[in-house]
Amino acid sequence: MDASKIKSALADITAEQDPTLKSLKMASLCSALWAKRGVQLVVVGGSAIEILTEGAYASGDLDLCHANKALLPMRERQEIMGMLGAKGGPRNWEVAGMFVDVLGPVESFARTPYRRVQGPYGEVQVMKAEDLLVERVLVSVYPAKNPAARECARELASVAVAGAVNMDWSEVLRVANLPEYRNVEECKVLVREVANELKIKSPFDSD
Amino acid sequence: MNLKLKVPSIPIEGTISYEDWLKGRRYRRELSKLVAPGVIRRKRSSSDRRLKKLFNGERGLPFTPTEKL
Repeated sequence: MDASKIKSALADITAEQDPTLKSLKMASLCSALWAKRGVQLVVVGGSAIEILTEGAYASGDLDLCHANKALLPMRERQEIMGMLGAKGGPRNWEVAGMFVDVLGPVESFARTPYRRVQGPYGEVQVMKAEDLLVERVLVSVYPAKNPAARECARELASVAVAGAVNMDWSEVLRVANLPEYRNVEECKVLVREVANELKIKSPFDSD
Repeated sequence: MNLKLKVPSIPIEGTISYEDWLKGRRYRRELSKLVAPGVIRRKRSSSDRRLKKLFNGERGLPFTPTEKL
């Protein structure tokens, strides 16, 4: 991507006032630039859930992790983000009217692929919906009840049971059964509850 | 609400095009808001100081209303 394309992309992102589009566009631009240096980025956390649900959940920061083992020295990270006119670093920057955090290696247990959205400046990898659901359900219950995390998990469950986001439900159960989570029942209960509200059969119910 | 799928799904395998992702935004929002109405953005986090400084006392830009998606 040459300097004029970067400049044009930055102008577009800076002017964007829809927070979800702004995040997706920024993730698209960052992914393209970091990929040139061998690092695959993946959108995680609230921004990932927002891209999958449109749930009015995310705040004004975009969280990214490394999806492969490549790491960039601080100097290179600063150079890349400097191309975008970013301020700060070396792990979080203010750029184009938002914040971008690059948090390090991604933590994922699902065997499904990252979800992929073709963004305007390059492909965006988004955290696996299976990991996101099991994690949000865990945070909604432990270490204490967390209503915001619960609503977020319910939104993700709703788009998944309705088929707007394809989910591997057997993988949800496998991940939830891992020692890292041990929350199979909580996941089943939440998904059933949402499915009942939408009058859709729960993927966890047999015939 | 008719829950019959009206828009392209975000797939497990492969890449959804930008246009298809955009087409699905409203439907995903409508589904989400059936089970968690309103804005559910967290009220606070460790990033509050920088967020509120940049977004005029808010934690991010306002969300686009569903009817405009």
